[in-house]
Amino acid sequence: MARAYIFKRFERFWHWAQAALIIAMLLTGFEVHGSYRLFGWGRAAGLHTSVAWALIGLWLFAIFWHFTTGEWRQYLPTTDKLGAVLRYYLTGIFSDEPHPFRVTRLSKHNPAQRLAYLLVKVIINPLIWVSGLLYLYYNELGATGTVIASGLGLGAIALVHTAAAFLMLAFLIGHVYLATTGHTPLARVRAMITGWEQLADEPEPETRKIPAQGVST
Amino acid sequence: MGVRICSALAIAAMLVAAAAGGADDGASDKVLKSTSDHAKFKVLQQEFASGPEVTRACLTCHTEAARQLQLTQHWKWEFLNPDGRRLGKKSIINNFCTSVASNYAYCTTCHIGYGWKDDRFDFSVQENVDCLICHDTTGNYRKAPGFAGHVVTQETEFPPGSGNRLKPVKLGPIAQEVARTSRDNCGACHFFGGGGDGVKHGDLDSSLASPDKSLDVHMDALGNNFACATCHMTAGHQVPGSRYAPTAVDRGGARLRGKEYKTNPTTCQSCHGQAPHKAGAAKLNDHTDKVACQTCHIPAYARGGVPTKMSWDWSTAGLMGLDGKPMVRKDAKGRVVYTAAKGTFVIAENVVPEYVWFNGRVTYTLLGDRIEKGAQPTRINHFEGSAGDNRSMIWPVKVFRGKQAYDPLYKSLVVTHMAGTDDTAFWTNFNWEKAVAVGMASVGAPFSGKVDFVETESMWPITHMVAPAKDALRCHDCHASGARLEKVAGIYIPGRGSDHSVWLEVIGWALAALALAGALVHGTGRIAAARRRH
Amino acid sequence: MTKTVYVAGVAALCLLGIGLHAIDAHAAGGDWKRGRVYYQKVCTDCHTAKAGGAIAPNARTMADWTAYLNADKHAKGKDSLRNYASREYRASVKGTNKAAEKYADVPDEQLFNDIRSFMLKGAKDGDSPASCN
Ligand code: HEC
Repeated sequence: MARAYIFKRFERFWHWAQAALIIAMLLTGFEVHGSYRLFGWGRAAGLHTSVAWALIGLWLFAIFWHFTTGEWRQYLPTTDKLGAVLRYYLTGIFSDEPHPFRVTRLSKHNPAQRLAYLLVKVIINPLIWVSGLLYLYYNELGATGTVIASGLGLGAIALVHTAAAFLMLAFLIGHVYLATTGHTPLARVRAMITGWEQLADEPEPETRKIPAQGVST
Repeated sequence: MGVRICSALAIAAMLVAAAAGGADDGASDKVLKSTSDHAKFKVLQQEFASGPEVTRACLTCHTEAARQLQLTQHWKWEFLNPDGRRLGKKSIINNFCTSVASNYAYCTTCHIGYGWKDDRFDFSVQENVDCLICHDTTGNYRKAPGFAGHVVTQETEFPPGSGNRLKPVKLGPIAQEVARTSRDNCGACHFFGGGGDGVKHGDLDSSLASPDKSLDVHMDALGNNFACATCHMTAGHQVPGSRYAPTAVDRGGARLRGKEYKTNPTTCQSCHGQAPHKAGAAKLNDHTDKVACQTCHIPAYARGGVPTKMSWDWSTAGLMGLDGKPMVRKDAKGRVVYTAAKGTFVIAENVVPEYVWFNGRVTYTLLGDRIEKGAQPTRINHFEGSAGDNRSMIWPVKVFRGKQAYDPLYKSLVVTHMAGTDDTAFWTNFNWEKAVAVGMASVGAPFSGKVDFVETESMWPITHMVAPAKDALRCHDCHASGARLEKVAGIYIPGRGSDHSVWLEVIGWALAALALAGALVHGTGRIAAARRRH
Repeated sequence: MTKTVYVAGVAALCLLGIGLHAIDAHAAGGDWKRGRVYYQKVCTDCHTAKAGGAIAPNARTMADWTAYLNADKHAKGKDSLRNYASREYRASVKGTNKAAEKYADVPDEQLFNDIRSFMLKGAKDGDSPASCN
């Protein structure tokens, strides 16, 4: 079986750090929201704030990385094979059909992934960032009068922030599950850890375009 | 000769030094406290026959003192509310012992004057100002109820014919020991408001005479040891910080010496400013715009071992025991919870306050205001404020609930003649109609002749008994469902379930559940399919 | 000249002596407030938590207390009451008792006097009978 080096070191670090931070944010965030008691409200709120800053820092790095490496193109949406991929997950996967999409270095994500990650990046993340920062600096905003003037109370800010958190939670659940849908349940998780993706047999010609140092057989 | 002078001086100096060194610390403490030892004043070295005689002596040096006092609420028992209504002890009706009017000789035991026995008291007589009640340091100065604020200087039988003998108070030694006011002085009246220790306020009782730190960080007898006047910074006998003129919101910073301020100096902010919490707990400073300091720092009141009254039902008063004597009932701890004279009480210690928005305005129901007996209790007084008015803070209050006499035809609160040795006073004859008739007549108010009982509510700010920081409220005391601020409306409190949008909760959790269910169904399908293939 | 100075010196001393004497006479009254704090925080500390049970000043009369204090036989004669007002005792408990720490240097006689005036004041027939509260 062919192997390809798909996920670079920074990318892997970013992915797993982000995963840990987002899970921490969800755990503490829903406690602050009042959904359960875990750390104690004060600690949960404190952790939520510190982890938020760590996550913002990580995101800034990741954005910088995506633009300097051109990797941002990985998230450009496409309809090419989208139907086939969706059909695969709905039916084909149960009868062991081959995945209609081949991972390559230039195209790491199948069209459904592209769409999902893009939605996270352009909708959920900005919603969380903006509402979270407004939440955090509500007092300062209040002091300047802007909050009151715009009719944007803490309740409204919290509503948007919570809605975005629910979206993130749903994404996380789906994402974790779909990670098990490689050709073995742990194949994709392993790829995300090592960076090397196992390519299915009979690689399509384009796979060969991958630079030599990135491929071994 | 020069030498001899020198040596004589040297010896003298040595002796002086020795003598001074031998003087004990306590004495020099005392010397350092005041420039004058009142025991050395000739005018005080006499046997005084009455309170006013002492005052006359005081006024020979402190020429303006009485005039200063006569300007105060302490003297007038009167306060003009910003809404134009006349308040003050003299005119209001509360839901404790209800009214001063027609009960002067008893209530004025706590007046800073002598002789206010009825509504003809002359407020301009200087010698009627009582200096000692505030400046006694011996703790021996006391005024017995029933004497209109006069001090008993000769053994007296009271009530006459009762066989109860009152001990005389020796005024000379007391006058010779006067000094600045202390907690004991203010407490002599303010700890006992409502007719007994801790009864009225809940955050003021005799446990504050020498409290430890856990009861009050400022008054801690072994620590800061604040006197009342440390915060109620009095100048010219004008005491600031009355609850009649409360400062609910203080946006000012900590005060500097030498600067002049026109605002109330008794607020927490006047010393601690707007950002009192350390950097490590900086988020707490974000609360100071909406939450009064007291809300977190006074986790409970009546913490010093003295219970406070929480409710008082006058309608049950008047029961006689099997022995034909007025009945008294006590709780398991031996504390009185019923007397024929006063009705039924509920008392409590370590009480968690109720919390309300408060902007400093207080409205009152006064004699003659129309009241209705209904589902809502009549508000004896009420703290105004709301989240939206932008000048309110969340305050801890004691809500005192009562059931008291009113006139069901004229629909008004009533003045009741409670105390007295005559045969109309309620406490001697237990007849409401008679007692109210006399009470209302004493203030010239109409009375239908009928008495019924109405539920009432009054609010008292909780502001003393400030606990050490370690005992202050924790986040989850408010940031949770069903927590302390559950009933405070108009503000979003993270963690409080009632602030959640129901539809967002439903949709959000449904979405997460769907995602999970989808994963489970899909996964099960994959496993089943794989099994089939093998 | 010399004589004048001498006389003045002696006179000054006398005056000073009288002054001090007057202050002493005053102090003999005792600082009942300090006595109250010591009683509530040191005596009671032992009496409720460890031994002896509560002792309310108003449990006895002034005459009883005076006799008790003069006899100085504490705990049914086992030890001296003055001992518990002494500097040594205060030094021994000042690590755990803030009142003992605060009053560590008050002369024994003076502190005992303070306690005495509090107890007499708070006695059953005293000027302001004090319970254990
Ligand atoms: C080291 C602990 C301790 C301290 C401190 C202490 N006591 Fe006692 N006290 C006792 C004990 C033990 C008894 C005996 C109780 C018994 O026999 O039932 C006692 C008894 C008494 C009694 C009852 C009469 C008697 O002597 O038996 C009085 C009064 C009393 N103490 C006063 C004081 C005062 C005042 C102080 C503070 C100056 C004080 N005690 C400090 C332990 C203490």
